[in-house]
Amino acid sequence: MNIQITDTCITLGEGVESFLLFEKPALPNYQNVTARPYISIYLGDGATIWSRLQVCTELLADFCHEDPYYGCYALLFRRLCPLLLSSSQPKNVVSYGPPADCGVYRVFQDFMTFLQEGSALTALSQSSYAFTALKESSCHAFLYCLDVFPSLPAVCDAISKVRPGGLVLLYTIKEPLPAGLNELCVHAEKDCFAHCTVYVFTIDESLSALALANGSENAILSRAEEVLKRANDLQNLVHAMLTGTPLPGDAYFIAVTILQQTEEILLSLYDYLEDDELPVNANALKECILNYYGGIRRQCELTSYREKLTQSSELFFAAVEREFQ
Amino acid sequence: MSNYKMCMIPAYPLENVQLLKDRVIFPYVCYRTFGESLRLVTKCTEDYPYLSYLEGVDLIPLPEDQPHMEAAVRYMSEHAEEIDLLFLFGARGEYMKLARTYKSLRPDGIIYLKLDTNIDWANAYPLHDSQFSIFLKDCDIISCEARRLQSFLYKKWQRPVEYIPNGVYYPLYPEAGSVCFEEKENMILTVGRLGTAQKNTLLLLYAYALAFLQLKEPWDLVMVGSVTPEFQSEYEEFCRRFPPLAPHIRLTGNITDKRTLHQYYKKAKIFALPSRGEGGSPNVFSEAAIFGCTVIATNVDAAPDMTDNGRVGRISLDTEDFDSFAKELAALCLNPDYLARNFHEMRSYMKEFFDYEHLAVRLQMLVQLQSLKRSHS
Repeated sequence: MNIQITDTCITLGEGVESFLLFEKPALPNYQNVTARPYISIYLGDGATIWSRLQVCTELLADFCHEDPYYGCYALLFRRLCPLLLSSSQPKNVVSYGPPADCGVYRVFQDFMTFLQEGSALTALSQSSYAFTALKESSCHAFLYCLDVFPSLPAVCDAISKVRPGGLVLLYTIKEPLPAGLNELCVHAEKDCFAHCTVYVFTIDESLSALALANGSENAILSRAEEVLKRANDLQNLVHAMLTGTPLPGDAYFIAVTILQQTEEILLSLYDYLEDDELPVNANALKECILNYYGGIRRQCELTSYREKLTQSSELFFAAVEREFQ
Repeated sequence: MSNYKMCMIPAYPLENVQLLKDRVIFPYVCYRTFGESLRLVTKCTEDYPYLSYLEGVDLIPLPEDQPHMEAAVRYMSEHAEEIDLLFLFGARGEYMKLARTYKSLRPDGIIYLKLDTNIDWANAYPLHDSQFSIFLKDCDIISCEARRLQSFLYKKWQRPVEYIPNGVYYPLYPEAGSVCFEEKENMILTVGRLGTAQKNTLLLLYAYALAFLQLKEPWDLVMVGSVTPEFQSEYEEFCRRFPPLAPHIRLTGNITDKRTLHQYYKKAKIFALPSRGEGGSPNVFSEAAIFGCTVIATNVDAAPDMTDNGRVGRISLDTEDFDSFAKELAALCLNPDYLARNFHEMRSYMKEFFDYEHLAVRLQMLVQLQSLKRSHS
């Protein structure tokens, strides 16, 4: 893949295929309200946006031509540019994905500062906590590499950090889209070239509402509710086991199934748990139920199994309550 | 499915002695509990007289002209259809291709991986290796042998890891049924490779000396197992320095005859495990425990499990602390009531929580749940 720069246009090419990134306007227009001129007409001194674009895309090629995301960066630049030109306010752009020393940051930051002193490009670390430091609706654009963290709640969190009219640019070099993201991406425009794809979301009310509903906070809350519901069901079942209430034959099977589901939900919430022993506590309770069931099936004396089941269930239910209520 | 066609494939060719250890015994008990058949697939490097203890098991010899695992993968590609439940032993790189082959041919089949791990191994798993991660995903049920390790692995892997201890198959120990506390003597027993760094035997020797001074009646220390030359010298030096103790300490050497070894378990009131590290609970612990020995152990990974958190045994927290081990040891020797009571408590505890027949029922339900999950997906 390569970038070709001429006096009138900048294109991304591979083999015989090409993709137009930027075209030099013949006449000034209303799309640029920054202090810099887009093109030079009669005041010949000083750099123009067009000449800086040429320099920056050349730098991008120098820094990133061996990077598999090279094409994505070029497509991102194309989408970012109109946003940067559209107002004379300093811009706040956030990027999640490339390593901190990636050359793309230098290129984008250089261009942003050229247009407006005080514009900032912030590279987030590759951690699920990275987004929590950002205020809602605080960014003009969010560049998000899907291949680093292909998660619907995380993408929705990213969307919620962007102000109305701003952009979320999801990019990937993988096919197909991860499960769960298809529905969201129908709301996006799509740029494709070779193995590179960029999904472009312009933030509006409906998209913000969708993001809020599917963001990690809601996902965590709904999973926490699932844990509580299962814990409640289990509490009744375990109580019945311990008090000798007659139970249907598959009661133990059901209890263990519920606990396995609970374990899985807790593990999916693992990064957010205050008590990181909770999943293993769920497993310990499952083990006690299996022991109790084994004792019944093998017609053993049940006192020890009952004691362990009592202790383990008390520990687990108390821990769930501490964590979620 | 109620009766599973089972298969156990070791990462390396099986040795005869391994036929009666956890890697084979647990699959065997599972077969007796919920299996239709069990095949052991291995390259044969020796005779297998212990196979006579494993009624109904098919030993499938792999071709001798191929490396063990290469032949095992080939076997799997030809016989996966005949295997519903595959037992693997140890999270070893050697298994990666085998597990993948099985799963690609039998996506509905179940792989049970018994980790046989300790904290050193658990720290060294190459989780950054994508092939290894795929291998772990291929394993439907994974178990480890100590609760402390289970908790550690949950945090490391963020996936369910069951706790299934190294247990006991009671039919292999008919004498354990007839043991009584009154026949026991004031004997402290240890069994293992004496003098190796792992077994930390010197701690026991000197802790015994410290405890001896506090005892109201003499107790003997019997040490069973092969002896390193270094430990032999240490022992001789010890006897020269403490002549009154020398008659009370015996090194028996290695005992291969199980009946002779069981006689020691029958006589001992206390079993000492001074190890610096053990993966799960060692086999010698289970053996001693079913003969009603009270266990004193250093704080190895499985110590809380072996003693039910100190209820049916004692834990000395620091593996290098002679005084602490001596204190716990003396406290036990001076408490005959506890030892007599604990004789029954320990045996009940073992029967309830370490009996492989009981553990197999647990695994059966986990396997059935997995099968159900597989059929739904």
